[in-house]
Amino acid sequence: MYTCANYPTSGIVSRSLSHRVDGMNDSMKEPKTASEPRGGAIPRSNLLNDLRTSGTDVVITHEDIDRAHDRERVSEMRARRGFRPRLRLFWLLIGPGILVMLGENDGPSMLSYAATGARFGIGFFVPFIALTFLMACVVQEMTVRLGAATHRGHAELIFDRFGPFWGWFSMIDLMLGNFLTLVTEFIAIRAGLGFFGVRPAVAVLSALLVLSVALMTHRYWTWERIILGAAMFNLVFVPVALLTHPHWGTVGRALVTWRPLPGGLTQETVLILLANIGATVTPWMLFFQQSAIADKGLTTRDIRFGRVDTVLGAALATVAALATMLATAPLFMHHMSAANFEAAEFAQALQPFIGHWGAALFALGIFEAGMVAAITISTSSAYAFGEVARRPHSLNLPFKQGRAFYLVLLVEAAAAAGLVLIPGIPLVYIVLLVNVIAVLAMPPALLFLYMLVNDREIMGALVSPLWANLLALGVVTVLIGAGLLFGISVIAPNALALVGGR
Amino acid sequence: MEKQVDSAPEVEVSREEITSVMTALEPDQIIFTKEHHHCPRRRLTRNEMILFWALRIYLVFMVGVVVYQTWTGVR
Repeated sequence: MYTCANYPTSGIVSRSLSHRVDGMNDSMKEPKTASEPRGGAIPRSNLLNDLRTSGTDVVITHEDIDRAHDRERVSEMRARRGFRPRLRLFWLLIGPGILVMLGENDGPSMLSYAATGARFGIGFFVPFIALTFLMACVVQEMTVRLGAATHRGHAELIFDRFGPFWGWFSMIDLMLGNFLTLVTEFIAIRAGLGFFGVRPAVAVLSALLVLSVALMTHRYWTWERIILGAAMFNLVFVPVALLTHPHWGTVGRALVTWRPLPGGLTQETVLILLANIGATVTPWMLFFQQSAIADKGLTTRDIRFGRVDTVLGAALATVAALATMLATAPLFMHHMSAANFEAAEFAQALQPFIGHWGAALFALGIFEAGMVAAITISTSSAYAFGEVARRPHSLNLPFKQGRAFYLVLLVEAAAAAGLVLIPGIPLVYIVLLVNVIAVLAMPPALLFLYMLVNDREIMGALVSPLWANLLALGVVTVLIGAGLLFGISVIAPNALALVGGR
Repeated sequence: MEKQVDSAPEVEVSREEITSVMTALEPDQIIFTKEHHHCPRRRLTRNEMILFWALRIYLVFMVGVVVYQTWTGVR
């Protein structure tokens, strides 16, 4: 018997649902499970997918129906042979990986890359930034497997498996980090549009409006495609870099030779190192990609595509990041001080080298970086809140049914936007510190992820292999090492000499 | 016995939609199932607890360092 009694999630309820579902349940699931092993499905036996709904009450929600439609399209393409269906299947399954990687190329990240190019050139940092994106791939691959295997968000799994005590710690880390990062996104939006003479209040309110409009689709698929399209604009830094006529031989040599850190290890270089690491690996990315994968409805059969999606996103983000650094490298070569530059100042300073249109593209790129990240980061907060508060949490929900989800998203964004408008706030300082805080908050977040992805009870056969664990431990070691280096540089700057600095 | 949930409008679900949901989604992808079946809590070993606390102390200490740097920077 199937009813909707006591179901906390609002949904579409059918009067005749009970006998229909009851009669169909077993027979309808059989063809799917029978066909799964074909085409290389990964056998998955865990606490979650062994669940069966027969014998209990069940309700079909609006969200289920939307997700099922998306999955039907995937199944249809998977059943066909040939290049075009495969391409179409790829198109259907990509999204969260590209979004998270390009979303992380956000306002503070692009400003970090710009500051790096302007203050240190490219010698050390071209390979360093490529390496940080490899680290991001290692970390995000784990969220792909975890999301596809469990169909649950990251916050929900942490609460369920480790209990509310550790769950709340994790949530506080996420919410504080997200809020501070959101503030910096609105700083970037304000600074980017400031180049065109748009007043701060107008810039910030316009961004809030865009964010709200993107949510009005009430459909994950449509939202994802819109934000993907906007995120591609991150590559606008490529033409800006080309306008500076970089010497490709030097860039190639920098990539393969990895020159020493210019000026040695100082308090300033440590801060820039941390800012660049924090520009690629941050806690919100874990929460966002896993929740987005669950919302999109990816399964274990889609993990391969999820990995390609992540690597493709990382490759695009690396290109955009390196392009930003190359674009501001002329400031380094002409010994221009960029220590206190905001986005608009970077664009203005670059104008003699790349012209007005080039500078305008740079400013637009900074605006876009802040805009896309404001959307993805506030969404990650809303997902986490919904998962923890056991409220409906999906971009497939109409506003009425997902009221709490959408309100958290909008209120957080509005609060961050409001803070940016307070006169006298040290905006440049906040931008630098946000990336540092992201690096510091990563090791505890990674420990949760590491333990979840090695948890055989929820992952079944999809637990991390040895090589993945070694890579993950390598990332944790680098992050803790970078954090401690930062601590030393602040508390005892002279001690940097002990580790080869000045 | 059915009743409306969370003031959501009661909408007739077609047979096709039910078919679609039951065939296209894995059992644990259905929201109802997810809401009613949560992962059981795992017991943390002593070493895991030590690691959790160590990283928590590390984070609190490092945030203190950031606050100190911010304070000195602003001054």
